[in-house]
Amino acid sequence: MMLSVSSKYAMRSLLRHGRRTILSVVGIGVGCGLCLFMIGFIRGERKMMLRAASESGAGHFRVVPANWNETRENDLRLIDWHQARKLVESMDEVEVVTPHARKEVLLGFGTRVAGVEMVGVDRNTEQAANRLVRSVVDGHYLDGEKGTTVIGRTIATRLRVEVDDELMVTAAGADGEMAGAMLRIVGIVETGSRDLDATICQVNLQDVERITHLPGAGDLTALVKNPKKLKLTVKSLSEKLGTDYSVVTWEQLMPELASGVKVDETWTRLTVSIIMIVVFLGIASAQLTAVLERRREFAVLSAVGMKGSRLVQIMVYEGLVLGLAGAAVGLAVGVPSTYWVATKGIDFTKMYGTEGMSISNILIDPVFLGDFGWWLVPLAFVLALTATILSSLYPAWYAAKTDPAAALRVEH
Amino acid sequence: MATNVLVSAKDVTKTYQTAKIEVKALRGLTLDINETDFMAIVGPSGSGKTTFLNLVGALDTATDGSLTVLGRDISAMSKQKRADLRLHRLGFVFQAYNLVPVLTAQENVEFVLELQGVGDNRFNRAREVLDKLGLAEFANRRPNELSGGQQQRVAVARAVASNPKLVLADEPTANLDGENAEVLLHMMQDLNENRDITFVFSTHDSRVVAHARRVVTLVDGRIARDEMKGRTNPSPRES
Repeated sequence: MMLSVSSKYAMRSLLRHGRRTILSVVGIGVGCGLCLFMIGFIRGERKMMLRAASESGAGHFRVVPANWNETRENDLRLIDWHQARKLVESMDEVEVVTPHARKEVLLGFGTRVAGVEMVGVDRNTEQAANRLVRSVVDGHYLDGEKGTTVIGRTIATRLRVEVDDELMVTAAGADGEMAGAMLRIVGIVETGSRDLDATICQVNLQDVERITHLPGAGDLTALVKNPKKLKLTVKSLSEKLGTDYSVVTWEQLMPELASGVKVDETWTRLTVSIIMIVVFLGIASAQLTAVLERRREFAVLSAVGMKGSRLVQIMVYEGLVLGLAGAAVGLAVGVPSTYWVATKGIDFTKMYGTEGMSISNILIDPVFLGDFGWWLVPLAFVLALTATILSSLYPAWYAAKTDPAAALRVEH
Repeated sequence: MATNVLVSAKDVTKTYQTAKIEVKALRGLTLDINETDFMAIVGPSGSGKTTFLNLVGALDTATDGSLTVLGRDISAMSKQKRADLRLHRLGFVFQAYNLVPVLTAQENVEFVLELQGVGDNRFNRAREVLDKLGLAEFANRRPNELSGGQQQRVAVARAVASNPKLVLADEPTANLDGENAEVLLHMMQDLNENRDITFVFSTHDSRVVAHARRVVTLVDGRIARDEMKGRTNPSPRES
């Protein structure tokens, strides 16, 4: 196909001022690369937060009694948790589902006591859904033996207990009467965060039923295979479960964490926008200079009959070429840096210390990893082309309204 | 034999408003330009030569009076329509050649054809024009690889590529030496005689005046003299 003379004109006009064109392309590329890095980082952070939140016991979603979200009362129990669990497990999108029965209790050993939320679990599925209880450093995890518990290191330190010690557990029963039982410690968990270790007290589900006289599970906590489809999964499950149950997402369970992630995203968007505006103004300035330099040329073209729309087309074409080259440079800058942050990550231990970081009872890895993937390629082109084409519009409009008689009159 | 009038100007005035003063470039100019005229407009600087060419070339509009170019009233035409008129019916040659510097001679000529909407055939048509004007050997050279005379001949090729009825040339020989000016004038004379293209020049150059068949002298935005070689037309003010 024959390249149009207009296209050749646009291309060669860019090449005529090689240094300016190169500087423009580098400017677009660096700006674009910086944006890719920031977007990659924030996408990774969001993924990491979601994974941390979901795998710290909250799950991607929970099935709870219909009115639980309003009261958040731990004594509420699911009507038929076995049936509900089967239904959740039957969904292809669900990776794992595990039941919980929660109860605020006092743990006592000798003269020392500690208040904690005791969680009754299914030992067969709990560790798959909750990474906090994967690191049992003393003893072992629950093995089904009646009257046993796994506690966090901070509780063990506070009560000065160790594996095989027996704790006295006291809780209010279903009828309001205080109930007590003895629990033998079979394992001690260390998550890396002392705060989190002060919250862990897990027992077999049947022990919670026995101590509280409240039968069944209070929630079903589930992880999904693809968190991007979470909303669809939740919607579909809600329809299947009916009105006796409610399905709440991690964002509803931990709104403060969700809003923290959103604030981060907003800042990133703002930063990306500022970078793009700077790039935009830089390109607009360079393009406008190019137009002013070619004012006479445009006047001649206009005199021989070129319409304003064709001039706009030529300027936008130049912007398009700059944008494509800028996107390529942006990828050259952005891909290695985004790959680095996705594989090596940014280590915040120097800032926050070696103590594990926890927010809202979730364990956060101190090394923040970015996201990396094919999405970088279209994003680079969208960012660079949007900036260059938009920034070409004003110079193009300025070129289009060149008055040929006035521009040519300068000569006389 | 009756001749067709291509341009008819009646009491045309053009006033430029600058920040502080009003400049009257044309003051009630009345003139007809006939088909196949080979006409020079002469006069001192500031006499209104270029202004008149700009008006005839539909680059500008008159402040007052009526101006009809190729049967169309210029002042009643939109910017777009005037651009169309320039593209399809008029040709321009400028003093400073004004070829597009990043395009070759061939591409400069092709550009006008592309703007006209000529498709795949434009390469051959542009080459044909260059061939006919004896410029084939320069086809692939860019303006900076051509002499002033060669550039101006390519500019003429660009001007006539779209088969215009009228070519307007603003001081076309001002930057050329005697030999190149002669070559250019012979080329334009040939186009005038063999392709019936009407040429109107603004000029200070006596060589151009010597070739012109009609010479119109402007002074202070008015016609002072309108001379056909062999006879003198009465000035509109005298008639």
